[in-house]
Amino acid sequence: MYGNLIDALPAVLSLGNIFAVVIGVIAGICVGALPGLSATMAISVLIPFTFGMDPLVALGMMAGIYNGAMYGGSIPAVLLRIPGTPAAVATSFDGYPMAQQGRGGYALQVAVVSSALGGIASALVLMLLAPPLAKVTLLFGPTEIFWVAVFGMSAIVFLLGGDIIKGLISAAFGVFVSLIGVDTITGYERYTFGHLELLDGINIVVLLVGLYALPPAIGLLEEVRDFDTQNTGRLNTTSIWKAIPSMLKYWKTWLRSSVIGVFVGILPGAGGSMAAFLSYNEARRASKNPEDWGKGEPEGVAASETSNNADTAAALIPALTLGIPGTAVAAVMLGGLLIHGLQPGPMLFRDNPEIVFGFMWQFLFAAILLIFLGGALATNSFAQVLRLPRPLLGAIIIALVFIGVYSINNRMFDVYLMLGFGLIGYFMDKLKFPLPPVVLGLILGGFAEQNLRLALRIGGGDWSILASSPTAKVLIAMVLLVIVSPIISRRLRARKASKKVAA
Amino acid sequence: MGFKSLSVAAALIVSCITTTSALAEYPEKKIDMIVGFAAGGGTDVMARNIAPYLEKYLGNGVSVVVKNMPGASGQIGITAVAEADPDGYTIGTYNLPGAMARTLDRNADYDADSFTYLANIVNDPNVIVTPKSSDIDTMDKLVEAAKARSGAVTVAMSSLGGDDHFFLQKLSSATGADYITVPFSGSAPARSALMGGHVTMGIINVSEVVNFRDELNVLGIASKERSNMAEDIPTFQEQGYDLVNGSLRGFVAPAGLPDDVESKLLAAFQQTYDDPDFQTAMRKSGNPTELALGDDFEALNAEQLELAKQIWETQPWK
Repeated sequence: MYGNLIDALPAVLSLGNIFAVVIGVIAGICVGALPGLSATMAISVLIPFTFGMDPLVALGMMAGIYNGAMYGGSIPAVLLRIPGTPAAVATSFDGYPMAQQGRGGYALQVAVVSSALGGIASALVLMLLAPPLAKVTLLFGPTEIFWVAVFGMSAIVFLLGGDIIKGLISAAFGVFVSLIGVDTITGYERYTFGHLELLDGINIVVLLVGLYALPPAIGLLEEVRDFDTQNTGRLNTTSIWKAIPSMLKYWKTWLRSSVIGVFVGILPGAGGSMAAFLSYNEARRASKNPEDWGKGEPEGVAASETSNNADTAAALIPALTLGIPGTAVAAVMLGGLLIHGLQPGPMLFRDNPEIVFGFMWQFLFAAILLIFLGGALATNSFAQVLRLPRPLLGAIIIALVFIGVYSINNRMFDVYLMLGFGLIGYFMDKLKFPLPPVVLGLILGGFAEQNLRLALRIGGGDWSILASSPTAKVLIAMVLLVIVSPIISRRLRARKASKKVAA
Repeated sequence: MGFKSLSVAAALIVSCITTTSALAEYPEKKIDMIVGFAAGGGTDVMARNIAPYLEKYLGNGVSVVVKNMPGASGQIGITAVAEADPDGYTIGTYNLPGAMARTLDRNADYDADSFTYLANIVNDPNVIVTPKSSDIDTMDKLVEAAKARSGAVTVAMSSLGGDDHFFLQKLSSATGADYITVPFSGSAPARSALMGGHVTMGIINVSEVVNFRDELNVLGIASKERSNMAEDIPTFQEQGYDLVNGSLRGFVAPAGLPDDVESKLLAAFQQTYDDPDFQTAMRKSGNPTELALGDDFEALNAEQLELAKQIWETQPWK
C-alpha cells in the first residue's frame, strides 16, 4: 500500500494538479473568511463544474478548499468576532480579545500555523493509518455516539459563561432549534408549521450567521462616527517566519488538538466545530493559567484551529474506505468522487490507487501551502479590511451574508430565517446571553437525542444497552471523570485552605 | 430594380419560413432540469450524466441546465416541477416510491395527475445485508431468528417511508415475522451501524453494496432477475420469497405538455438510453439502469402509488 503512495506522487506534482491545489487553498481561505459561505457550500457549488475536469484536478481543488476554509473562518473570527465558518466559533473566544489588544496579527499567525499543522497531521494519518482507523469508526454505533455527545456537553459546560442561568437558557434555545424538522424515528413533524423548508431542520450556517454575523454587523453600522481607521487597521505583525519560534511552546496543544481533531473526524456525523470546542476545552483544562482564557490567550486560538483542520483529511478515512462520511464536507466530497465514477470502498483503492493516494497527497500539500498562502494573505491583505469605514464594512458583511445564506438551498426562506435569528442574536447580545451554548445545543443536542432514541430502539427499549459495549463503558468513565474531577479538586483545595487557616 | 424587389421578396419569404419553423421547433431556449437533491447525490449524478445526452438528441443547440432545489427529501423540487408551465422547458427528477409516498404522509401540493411521465432511468433493487461478523447469512436463518423472538431482528434503514421501508413491510408480510425498524437519518450512519454490527440487518440498494462485498453478507436481491452488477447474488424469488422492490429514479414534466414536445422528449430519452456511452457513464457511477418510457412509466407510478396506499392503510409509518 505504501508503494502505491509513492507511485501516486508524480501525477500529483504535475503543474496542473499543483495549480488546482493552490487555487483551491486561496478560494477556500476566501470562502471561509466570508461569513455565510462555508466549505460544504463551496464544494457543492464546485462539483457541477468539475464534471468535465480530470479527477485529480477536481479533487485537488476540493482538498484545497477544505483546508483553506477551515483556516479562513478564523480571519473574521479574530478581527471582527464573526466566525466565518461554524468551526471557527471557538477561535473567536481568544482571537478577538487578542485583536482588541492590538495582537490580531499574531493571532492570525498562530491560527495559520496551527491550521497547517493540524492539516498536515490529519493528512499523514489519512495516508498511513486509514484502514485501521476505519475499524475504529465502526466501533461507534448509536449508543457510543450518544455518549460522545454527552461527553461533549459535559466537557464544555464552562462555555455557559459567568451567568449559569443565562447560559442554560441559551443552551436550551439551541436544543430547541435542533428539534425543528421531521423526527426521523417516528416521522412526525416538529415545529414546522407546515413549511416544507423546515422539514430537514435548520441548517447550522443559517443559525450561526444570524446569531454571530448580523449583530456585530449591525454594531458596525451603529458606529457612525468615523474614528481613526489608520490605527485599527494595523495588526502589528512581524514576518511569519520570525513569529514561528515564539509559537513552538504550543507543541503540546498542537499534538493534543491534532489527536482530538482526527478522532472527531473519523466519527460519523460530528464535525469541525465539535472538534474545535472539545480541544479548546481540553487545552484550557491542561493550561497553568486557565483564568486567562477567553481574554486573549494565543494557545486557545492554537487549540481550536489545529483541531478544526485535523478534522479534514481524517473525515475522509471512513468516507473513502467505507463510504461513511465523517463530516458534512466529506459527504459532499463523496459526491464529487461519484461524479467521476469513483465509488468509495476497498475497490476504489484497488482500481484507482493513483487517484485515491494522489488525493491524500493533495491534502498534505494543501495543508503545507496554507502556511505560505495563508501566512501571506493573513499578514497583509486582510488587515486592510479593517481600514474600511465601519458602516461600509457592516454593509458589505450584511450583503455577503444574504448571498451566502440564499445559496445554501437557493431559496429566500433561509434568508428570512437568518434575519429572525439575527434579531434574536441582537437582543441576546444586548442582554448579555452567551452565544456559544446555542451553537453547541444545536449540534450536540440533536445528535444526543437522535442517537439515544436509535440506541433504545436497537435495545428494544432496555436502557442497559447504553452500557453494553466496552467502548460505551470507556466513554461513560470519561464522562464521569469530567464531571467528578472538578468537584474533587475543589474539595481538596478547600481542605488544604482550611488546614492552612487552622495552622 | 426588378431583381432587387425579387430578392427582397425572397428574403421575406425565407425569413417567414424560418420564423414559423422556429416557432414550431422545440426546443428553442434552455431547458431547466430541476433536481430535488443537493449536488453530488445519486439523483444529481444521474441528472448530470443525462443532461449532455439530452442536449445532443434534442438538437437545436439547446442547453439543459441542472438546477438543484434540495429539501424535504425531494418534495420541494417535485412541487416546483408540478407547478411549472407545461411548455417543455422545465423538467425534473422524480424518485419513487418517495414522490408518491409524500402524497400520503404529508400535505403535498401535487398528486399523481400533476405530471407528464417521461422516463424512468434507474431501478436500484433492494438487498438484505447483515454484518460480516453475524452468523445470520441466509434468508432461512434470518426468518428463523425473526420468528424465534419478537423484536430480535433490528433493521437499519435510511429513512421512513422510502423504498427500504416499503421493502421491509413486504418482507414482514411475506415471512410472517416482526422486525424492529431503526430509521437513521440518511444512508451513511445506517451503513456505519450495519458494518459495525450494531444492528442485525440492513436494507440498502444493490448499487451501495457492490463495493463492499467483503464487509457485508448479502442475503438476496429484490429484483425479478439477477443484477448484472452482482451476478452471484440470488434473487428472493429464487429463494422462495416473492419480494420485488427498489428505488426508482426518473424524469417528469408538468402535466399538460403539448403532444409534439412530449414526443420529442420521449424520443430523446429513448435515444439517450440506447447510447452505449451513456450506459457506461451510468454503470461507472453505480446506477443500475432500466428504462420505462412514457405510458410504461405512468403505469409504474400508479403501481407504486397503489403499493404505498396499501401499506399506508394497513401499517402507517407515522
